[in-house]
Amino acid sequence: MLDTIDTEPAIQGAVVPNWTGVVRYLHITPRAFLPMRAMPELRLIEGKGIEGDRYMIGREEGFYSHKPEEGRQVTLFEFETLVALKRDANIELGPGEHRRNVTVEGVPLTHLVGRQFWLGETLLEATRLSIPCRHIEDITGKAIFDPLINRSGLNCKILKGGTVRVGDAVRNVR
Amino acid sequence: MKAAPITTIKTIVDTIEDAGAGVKLFSLVDPDHWDLPPFRPGAHIDLHLPGGMVRTYSLCNDPADNGCYRIAVKRERVGRGGSMILHDQVKVGDTIGVTLPRGGLPLDADVSCFAFVAGGIGVTPFLSATAWLRRTGRPDFKLHMMARGEPPLAHLLAPLKQTGHVVLHDTAVAGRPDIASLIGRPSPGMAIGCCGPADMIDDFEKASRDWPDNRVHVERFVPPVLPVDPNARPYMLVLSRSKIETRVEPGQTMLAALLGLGIDVPASCCGGICGACKVDWLEGRPVHRDRVLSPAERARSLMVCVAGSADDRLVLDL
Repeated sequence: MLDTIDTEPAIQGAVVPNWTGVVRYLHITPRAFLPMRAMPELRLIEGKGIEGDRYMIGREEGFYSHKPEEGRQVTLFEFETLVALKRDANIELGPGEHRRNVTVEGVPLTHLVGRQFWLGETLLEATRLSIPCRHIEDITGKAIFDPLINRSGLNCKILKGGTVRVGDAVRNVR
Repeated sequence: MKAAPITTIKTIVDTIEDAGAGVKLFSLVDPDHWDLPPFRPGAHIDLHLPGGMVRTYSLCNDPADNGCYRIAVKRERVGRGGSMILHDQVKVGDTIGVTLPRGGLPLDADVSCFAFVAGGIGVTPFLSATAWLRRTGRPDFKLHMMARGEPPLAHLLAPLKQTGHVVLHDTAVAGRPDIASLIGRPSPGMAIGCCGPADMIDDFEKASRDWPDNRVHVERFVPPVLPVDPNARPYMLVLSRSKIETRVEPGQTMLAALLGLGIDVPASCCGGICGACKVDWLEGRPVHRDRVLSPAERARSLMVCVAGSADDRLVLDL
């Protein structure tokens, strides 16, 4: 029965999910609407964002920059969702089209809200799940709003900055 | 002060070239020379000009070259004013907001032969399309270009002229040729397109009556009104606390109507799931369409990004 499930954070914290993932793609764009560009590495600045990206705090050139959000310094997306979109909805979405910064494989993003984890040498704290928006359909021309509900990525704060490279490990904080 | 939402792509005027026949060619680029959003051959964009005027122009460059948007603008003294601003006020280095590219020619892979009919500055979408066709190895096309005297954009037409892809028709000398004879009879694997003044398009549509719809493409200088849900009706939106009323047109969202009134409604997903734009309603019967409110919440609230009205009048607690 659903009403018997104990959702107290203390209980959640007692369980450490067992996983290790990998960074598959890295993307940034300097301004709203512009295509995301694949990068071999990104420089994450503690408490601010990604060098050169539209949502870096102080830069504020993103589509949602008029809604400031401390927890949107870097965004992640599951590679597995790209596979699922093709499998379930026959939609081919490239890793530069979902408009999150980091595409990871093997990382259960929906489990990480409120938790800290390592992205390469950087330490992130997940603040909330991302929400799909109609804006992304305007940009891609693909009907992805509905298929992305509940799997549209993760917003994070940067607790410890550094350089993240494609191929870096993504690990739990133990 | 709260930052305003970003609604257009920021571009800088990189070059302005004189392209003959009262036409100027503008290249718009990203301030950091980042790629601009991709576009289909012959797509168009809206330019947000100084003074708040919004004007639509076809892109005339190859879609492979999305490092810039190139538009050709003829100075029209009796036009609606947009071309005068671009010719007389806009300078290299100016910032212009543009929209995402829309539309474009459907150059389907199963079509191998194309005939395009252009009148004057209406040649612009076909310059983009023919560049794309040449680059992708589909050179079987003919562009019939009609102009009184010197054609605009002659330097862009010159390479096509050299290869025999363009036929120039000087209408000051011989009048407008018979369009039916230019496009011929429908044949499998062939498509036709036209862009130019309204009377030319009328002639083209008469001449192409026997062609299948999916093999005919018409670009108009003034875009036709977009189709809306035939069952959609306008309604009056009343803001009880602000004591303001506005008419919401079929196809317009309540959110757009409120933003048009300068009402600052927090909105995010614009698809009825995030819950950001929830507003209480007081009278009337809302059509909800969201996927976030419970039946109990719908009894007092609605999401303005997707909700409509079943009645002629809907009152919001704003």
